[in-house]
Amino acid sequence: MSGLLYKNFRINRTSLLFSLITQLLCSAVILLVCFFQGGKPFDEEGANSAVLIFSLLYYLGSMLPAMATSEIFRTDEGKTACSFAMALPTGAKGHVESKYYFILIENLIIMFIGFVTDTLTVALTGGTVSLTMIVVMIFCWRMMISSVEIPFMIRFGSQRGMSIKGAVVGIILMLGWIWFLFGDISFLLDSDDPFEAFIEFMQSGDIIFWLSFFPYISMIMYYLSCRISVKIYRKGAETYEQ
Amino acid sequence: MSSDKKTTVKRLIIFLILAFLPFYIIIPTMWAYFGEPVFASERDDAAIATYCIGVFGMMIPSAAQLITRLATKEGFKNIYLGLNCKGRMGYYAASVIVPLGYSAIAAVIIWAFLFDGMSFSDAFGNIGIQSAGLFLLQLAFSVICFFHAFGEEWGWRGYMMPKLMELMPKPAAIIVGGIIWGLWHAPLTVAGHNFGIDYPGYPFVGIGCMCILCTLMNAFLTLITEKTKSVYPAAFCHALNNNLSFGVMFAIFGSEAAIDKISEVDAIVGFLSYIWILAVVGTVSFILLMKKDKRNKQVLDKAA
Repeated sequence: MSGLLYKNFRINRTSLLFSLITQLLCSAVILLVCFFQGGKPFDEEGANSAVLIFSLLYYLGSMLPAMATSEIFRTDEGKTACSFAMALPTGAKGHVESKYYFILIENLIIMFIGFVTDTLTVALTGGTVSLTMIVVMIFCWRMMISSVEIPFMIRFGSQRGMSIKGAVVGIILMLGWIWFLFGDISFLLDSDDPFEAFIEFMQSGDIIFWLSFFPYISMIMYYLSCRISVKIYRKGAETYEQ
Repeated sequence: MSSDKKTTVKRLIIFLILAFLPFYIIIPTMWAYFGEPVFASERDDAAIATYCIGVFGMMIPSAAQLITRLATKEGFKNIYLGLNCKGRMGYYAASVIVPLGYSAIAAVIIWAFLFDGMSFSDAFGNIGIQSAGLFLLQLAFSVICFFHAFGEEWGWRGYMMPKLMELMPKPAAIIVGGIIWGLWHAPLTVAGHNFGIDYPGYPFVGIGCMCILCTLMNAFLTLITEKTKSVYPAAFCHALNNNLSFGVMFAIFGSEAAIDKISEVDAIVGFLSYIWILAVVGTVSFILLMKKDKRNKQVLDKAA
């Protein structure tokens, strides 16, 4: 397994490097904003804005590995690579699992950079801005997205897999849009300040309870996705050759 | 002493110097800067400084290990970074269940003995859907964002303990390792981190208590690290021990009266009321570690 993992790091070192540079740039922007604040704590309004902007930057930093996921699989879609993977002592299982481990490690490194940045942010802003939980949630979100898209890429190839994933995301967004148009969103519209209302809604007890399942669901989904991908790899490998 | 053992001793000494030095320099410097024990200070900037020390300080043993490996050209064999889950999931589960278990029991014991007859419903009046959500979030956060705990564990359990076990029998290694780990915390303890500064016998009683605590925890952490040959279970356990201690349990599930009460409880008294649970965990872990040794010896004897 360590050999396969090394192979993944070696082949994908450029995309990994770009991902890390993006995250480091986003972190640098966050730290510069805090630095130019002059080490003073943010006021309440400033802290709310900082939380929103910094969350977006953290998300942006985690986006590049997401875009490079298809690249990780594309490198091993050739006939020789597939035959090699299945001829290994660990078989297709080891090959697929190594990809999952690679993506997990890549996202863990990005979360670690976010975590260190957040610690420095707390120090620079006098404790008024802390996004550790958001950094963790973004990581879980990335895991969840990966767990959905990887089986598609394994089964249909990286190109078609990405298209199918795009279609699935499109449908989900459309459903969300329909809900926004016709669903019950009075909790947002009845307020003078929708952002404040949204924060209040997020802070209500019930939401915290349901939100607390999110990390567990994302981790379970990632594990199950790996098991499914191992099972469908052989069938997928036949498709790549066509 | 064979040359192998000499090399191990040399590496261990370099590692310990590198692991100990930063805290023994930073904490007195900060004490001089703030003019008081930094962890007992009520100043806002001191609180921020302690937060940073807490996060980055825990990564020192890992950094010390990496530097030692590079400086002594030891290489990166036996770095305990594999998962090795197969057939060992029980130890992974134990790494989460055991710290949660002893924190919950400690919270109940502290309520029973130190809350002057406050009823259970009065003490834990905050049990509900919101607190359950907070607890689950904190649990997930601790396991996923385990970096600082990993920072300590990779150094202590992933490097120091295997070296100590090479040099001495396991029981001695666990005690010596625990004491070393406790003494590493000494600057923090003196600065008021673990028990504050208002207790009889400050700071020596605090340092002694920390050494006992670390020795007991060391037994369990070494057990799960050695059985899985991986440092992750110990890191999860350490993260949960720090993030879901009995104090956090009270903060999540306790009523305001209970939180007020717990803040009045003397840290050493609190420590003494729950240390015996850790003693049970430590003793069981110790026996399990020895049992494996005995079995291995029997197999080797048979083979001979």
